[in-house]
Amino acid sequence: MTTNPAGGVHDAARRVVLTGFGVFSSIGVGAAEFAEGLRSGRSGAKPITVFDTEGFEHTNGCEIRGFEPERWIRNLDAAQLGRASQFSVAAARMAVQDAGLDPADLREQRGLISIGTTDGESWDLDRLVASQLAKGSAEMDRSIAGRIRAGRLSASIAQELGLTDVEAVTIPTACAAGNYAIGYGFDAVRSGEADYALCGGADAMCRKTFAGFYRLGTIAPERCQPFDIDRKGLLTGEGAGVLLLETLESALARGARIYAEVLGYGLNCDADHQVAPLESSVARCMELALENAGVKPEEVDLISAHGTGTKANDVTESRAIRSVYGTTPPRTVSVKSMLGHTMGAASALAAIACSLAITHGFIPPTINHASTDPECEIDCVPNEAVEADLRIVQNNGLAFGGNNAVVLLGRYEA
Amino acid sequence: MANVTAEQAATIKEIVCEILELEEDEVTGESLFREDHGADSLRAIEILASLEKEFKVTIDQAELSRMVNLNGVYEVLAESAGW
Repeated sequence: MTTNPAGGVHDAARRVVLTGFGVFSSIGVGAAEFAEGLRSGRSGAKPITVFDTEGFEHTNGCEIRGFEPERWIRNLDAAQLGRASQFSVAAARMAVQDAGLDPADLREQRGLISIGTTDGESWDLDRLVASQLAKGSAEMDRSIAGRIRAGRLSASIAQELGLTDVEAVTIPTACAAGNYAIGYGFDAVRSGEADYALCGGADAMCRKTFAGFYRLGTIAPERCQPFDIDRKGLLTGEGAGVLLLETLESALARGARIYAEVLGYGLNCDADHQVAPLESSVARCMELALENAGVKPEEVDLISAHGTGTKANDVTESRAIRSVYGTTPPRTVSVKSMLGHTMGAASALAAIACSLAITHGFIPPTINHASTDPECEIDCVPNEAVEADLRIVQNNGLAFGGNNAVVLLGRYEA
Repeated sequence: MANVTAEQAATIKEIVCEILELEEDEVTGESLFREDHGADSLRAIEILASLEKEFKVTIDQAELSRMVNLNGVYEVLAESAGW
């Protein structure tokens, strides 16, 4: 094995590592429980209760039951935040705690908060519109109307943790937004513009998006089966993943546990079609990420696919992978088989999953898998996790409108 | 010709032209939404959804493959509605 750090960057002040995770998902809360869920191939699918599903024939989703935001949100009134902000703020506090930091430590440093989302507070918007239809505009709840803006997902983190020397941005690049947010944080920390970054994604399930995906014919009746010949679509999900990024120098100085290193990322937008992914541009995005990270395709040990379980995504993405990686691509899994599609949180949760896979030496399985579609020529590690020594992992995020974002993570090597 | 009345056919054509942003004289029973009029899969779903709403029927999404022109739409709708 090479002794060079992956990506070839040696300066500890310019290497960016992940030292804290905040996780809310339908298969586990917190990094430890999430890792256990991934390893055991847990499914988050269950009947949807967070909104009215009357009129829909199939009503499964990967929602989070028993979420207690007030356990994590101490300075703000949790009840005054939308559900997506509750997820993002709770996950941010958890990430800081998981990193062994006190918010007071961060207050003295320059920071960045970047949170990706697809729907922002659309769950609230659903309720607001329902009330407007039922009772008229005059009866719309002012406090709900006041918290709809997606900017709240990141600004509320700064408020809750008392972080004043920060840029707080919400990145609304739909289903690739988590990776976009990580890429932004990576640049800020690597360049020295920020000392740390809290990056990730958050979304709460909502009726609007469920209905939209349903109408597109992309909602699976019961379960999500990425790359399977009989796959029937995705299940919507919810949650948040927040990652704490800091320089290697800073992590070493304070003796922090290092989950993984961020090696680089790639972004592109082809704007080719509202919903259909474009193979050549997905491939190009992976190349951009590899180039940015200074990694050769043959060095990648695992790909965490966007892997929604729709007909269109899985074929296009597999082909794009083979066009970059050749006829023997690395094993390619979809954690959406377990978590559902958590929208803006998806690639953030998947990046955490990749890091935990590196840390704990296993590949999370693609569950619900019976028979691989011959048009998806990849090994998706069906149903059972496998032990694996992972050095470099690629995390794909592909979004509507041809917004693609790919992040490369590596095992920390001195 | 599918079992639709002149009135139903006119309403269907109006809906299709509205969604595809076409003048009614540009569309014939045979002209293809995708190839001749530049429609994509999302427009097709919009047509299906609007017809379901207007005529209070349910159209199986698998029928989209037949709804490539107005005559195809008339047929599928007549079958789905039991006309």
